[in-house]
Amino acid sequence: MHDHQAHGHHRHDGVDCDAALSQLFDFLDGELDDSLESRLRSHVERCKPCFERADFEKRFLEAVHAARVTETCPKALRERVLATLRAEGLGA
Amino acid sequence: MMTDAPDRPATELPPPAPAEFSAAAIAAMDDVYRFARSLTRDAVDAEDIVQDTYLRAFRSWRTFQEGTDIKRWLFTIARNVFLRSRERGQREVTLDDDASAAAESAQAQEAWVRGGLDPLLHRAELAPAIDAALAELPEAFRTAVTLVDVEDQSYESAAEVLGIPVGTVRSRLFRGRKLLQQRLAEHARDAGFLPAVPTRSPA
Repeated sequence: MHDHQAHGHHRHDGVDCDAALSQLFDFLDGELDDSLESRLRSHVERCKPCFERADFEKRFLEAVHAARVTETCPKALRERVLATLRAEGLGA
Repeated sequence: MMTDAPDRPATELPPPAPAEFSAAAIAAMDDVYRFARSLTRDAVDAEDIVQDTYLRAFRSWRTFQEGTDIKRWLFTIARNVFLRSRERGQREVTLDDDASAAAESAQAQEAWVRGGLDPLLHRAELAPAIDAALAELPEAFRTAVTLVDVEDQSYESAAEVLGIPVGTVRSRLFRGRKLLQQRLAEHARDAGFLPAVPTRSPA
């Protein structure tokens, strides 16, 4: 794994650091096509600054997800919605 | 099975509700509620959005294409309900500009933000701060981040729900996430986890 000061000039599989960082979120979000994802993964695995950046962003996104998924619909609201839908014919 | 609906003429009868409505749509109510909260930032308003969303969804159940993502469908309805409820004409155009400046500022402090947040990300105590910071984001960014990061929607799905191009989802996500990180770092500084920002301008 490379550790370099001049971030932005390193190439692995045709992907340099600038390209890797500009597409980092697409990569982490699983939005890249297979070929590009594979090349970007290869770059990130071999380039220490990009790896550290990707690791930070990945853990940040996981923290955001974990913080919010616990919020649930209030029980009273759920019952009110169901009552409305029953009045409309749900389950009739 | 529907029988009759005495309050309305026959031509306005809602479509028969298939059993799947309760199985799939109602099971997604937590997700719809969270999304409504992210749209409105207000619990009471969010409840109105959820109520109206389910009523509209129920009445237009026939338009839902089986096999497609029901959360995407419900989020789209919720978003439309929200926009209609906001009749004052206050659109999100200016929000992009405000947050653009803020995002640039965030970029300048990237190293400080990342260095400060990194050791905190695994801590459970950060969850309320994340929640509060997300609620404070301008709506355009908050909804994009909520759809993709909280509700696990694809860029394409978020674009459909928000009625914007995929490229706009991508840029809003980037800005929204960076703003969120900046606010979290400020929270960490205020809580004593981080030193003051070294690069902040005196203005």
